[in-house]
Amino acid sequence: METILKKERLSEWVAQIGARATVFAPAFADGIWNFCAVAADTKVEFDHGNTVRPAKGFVFPQREVLYRFRQESGKAPELMETLPAAAPTVVFGVRPCDGRAMVRNDKVFTCGFNDPYYQARRDQVVFVGLACSEPPSQNCFCLSVGGSPHSEDGLDVLMTELDGRYHVKAITAKGREIVEGAAALLDKAQAADGKAAAKAHADADKHPQRALATMEKVAAGLKEHFDSPKWDELARACIGCGACTYLCPSCHCFDINDEITSNVPLTGERVRTWDNCQFPDFTMHSSGHNPRHDTGARLRQRVSHKLLYFVENHNIQQCTGCGRCISHCPVGIDIVRVATEVSGQ
Amino acid sequence: MVAIEDIRSRAKELLEGGMVRAVLGFRRSSAGLLAEPTFVVASEDVASLVWDATCVHNLALYLVNEKKRQKAERTPDTRPLAIIAKGCDSRAINVLLQENHVAREEVVILGVSCEGGGVVDTRKLADALRGKEAASAVCDDTGKVKVATASGEVTFPAADVLADRCLECTIAYPSVSDTMFGEKVDERGFTARFAAVKSIAAMSEQERSAFWDGHFERCIRCYACRAVCPMCYCDECVVDSTSFIVSPMTTAEEKANRIRWIQRSTTPADNAMYHMVRAMHLAGRCIDCAECERVCPVNIPLRLLNTSLEQEALEMFEYTPGMDPAQPSLISSFRDDDPNDFIR
Ligand code: SF4
Ligand code: SF4
Ligand code: SF4
Ligand code: SF4
Repeated sequence: METILKKERLSEWVAQIGARATVFAPAFADGIWNFCAVAADTKVEFDHGNTVRPAKGFVFPQREVLYRFRQESGKAPELMETLPAAAPTVVFGVRPCDGRAMVRNDKVFTCGFNDPYYQARRDQVVFVGLACSEPPSQNCFCLSVGGSPHSEDGLDVLMTELDGRYHVKAITAKGREIVEGAAALLDKAQAADGKAAAKAHADADKHPQRALATMEKVAAGLKEHFDSPKWDELARACIGCGACTYLCPSCHCFDINDEITSNVPLTGERVRTWDNCQFPDFTMHSSGHNPRHDTGARLRQRVSHKLLYFVENHNIQQCTGCGRCISHCPVGIDIVRVATEVSGQ
Repeated sequence: MVAIEDIRSRAKELLEGGMVRAVLGFRRSSAGLLAEPTFVVASEDVASLVWDATCVHNLALYLVNEKKRQKAERTPDTRPLAIIAKGCDSRAINVLLQENHVAREEVVILGVSCEGGGVVDTRKLADALRGKEAASAVCDDTGKVKVATASGEVTFPAADVLADRCLECTIAYPSVSDTMFGEKVDERGFTARFAAVKSIAAMSEQERSAFWDGHFERCIRCYACRAVCPMCYCDECVVDSTSFIVSPMTTAEEKANRIRWIQRSTTPADNAMYHMVRAMHLAGRCIDCAECERVCPVNIPLRLLNTSLEQEALEMFEYTPGMDPAQPSLISSFRDDDPNDFIR
């Protein structure tokens, strides 16, 4: 379903949705682009680079309570279920690479085993994508990992900026619902509008991006060079922080801890928090042995998970080329260069 | 002006003579404008070394990281590491020497004076360029920064694009070095020391508390601020789960009941606690390289925390960290002539 929205009516559309759901849109605050809740009567405009934090937090928050517990001394413990009471949420301005990352997160959290916490949030959130007319970052490389600046994967709606208006395409049932609900604001797209959108997409593809060899070549190269001394060389400057993984739209590792709120009676919560493979304690065994004992082993894990293991398991790359891990690495460690140099491709 | 050829030729001599195991310096990065740290091990690679206003990193950090790395090696190369150090970086080396974390003979310091300039702040630069990407940034003797973009060259005054720490820096040349490049320039005349932190001090207690709550709320606890800090070298940090030693005898109960000072959850209380601990552990040690603030992906003004403690150390104890490896440390020393009465 394809429609047209005049730019000056964007805020109206957002406000209309805001009456029924919590709406988020990129905003520039405290020096960074972030998805921020849109208060009533705020003017919404799209002129954002990619947000620093990806959209994954809407379905996989950094902290999720799994259940509560309580135990009186000498008695059996009681467990209280705490499935998230997710409210309807609509997120605007999602870049296509973040949309594609959602497809990858779905594979992890809903294929084989359906994670009820993830699913509860996923069911309630609508992702309204915005096609990139030019790459918002100099480290974008979506075209090299099977995506594009106008990919629809994982998005419910895709908006494309045209002259003075947006081409708005509903992709999923959830997307159709918010588009149909605004029939008074959105006009039906004419054949010429469809053509204009297609042209905008083709133009976007022409912008130069960072480049990586094909999925098959990179995967084969990484597999062959698993023991390459280049890993240590390239990771020697890595400081082992969590910037690359926490900001990655498709990194999904987590840790589970009990947070005690009282000792007598014993009460507390079991919580799931983001974790990441670049922290030294990620693979630390209780014996003190650490199988991934240095930054070389950890960089290999991160890059290979994105571009080799995920390919082996799901036949798609996990990385969607958003470039965040490159732009925000404190010391310039660059997944495109690392994968290229190690795989010899 | 410091000529990169001079640095390269000294690096070459050191490598050819086998006097060092590597020269740690800066090279161009594929990731963006800023230079990136590089370990040059082959003398023919010294040509990759660069020196300009994009060499922001405090490489003293790697003295610490390399030490940890070497500990795990079966046959470590024990020759010293040569390291390029700006004024602030050299003060970090001094603190590591003072704390006996590294020994003087383990490091060859190629000190570089920033003279009348400094290094860029990429956020200021992004603002100044209104979204255009910079391809290079070079600082002249007066602090003016010439920036190349796809659509031509622009020159900015120091205050617009230099890092705040550089604007406030009073000793922009190395306090310790084996070879020094560039001149000692004492007259810099940008901003007064502690200018940024003084603006915060003017707030009321409630305002300040709201200011920090607002910032800490964004923290994702990626620990980039800690990982990049040369003084955050503890093997076990209170925030890590490894700070609990498990043996075969440790019972499940002991594991479950281990004390966690700070939870992994990014709640306001845990975030504030993390930052408080880190700031307190840096009092009298932080030398204001401002790397923590630079690397923070969500732009938390961490430098303000550390410089406020630096200011207190100066005002209450006449103490400036990193000036001399022989000076007794702030926390573990007592002086009869201490300017503060309350302690006597
Ligand atoms: S990688 Fe860059 S150009 Fe591609 S979709 Fe993401 S933000 Fe847009
Ligand atoms: S690995 Fe890096 S470039 Fe790829 S999706 Fe994650 S953050 Fe983006
Ligand atoms: S690659 Fe960069 S961002 Fe990732 S852990 Fe290493 S230093 Fe941090
Ligand atoms: S770098 Fe920033 S986001 Fe990361 S832990 Fe430090 S303050 Fe928090």
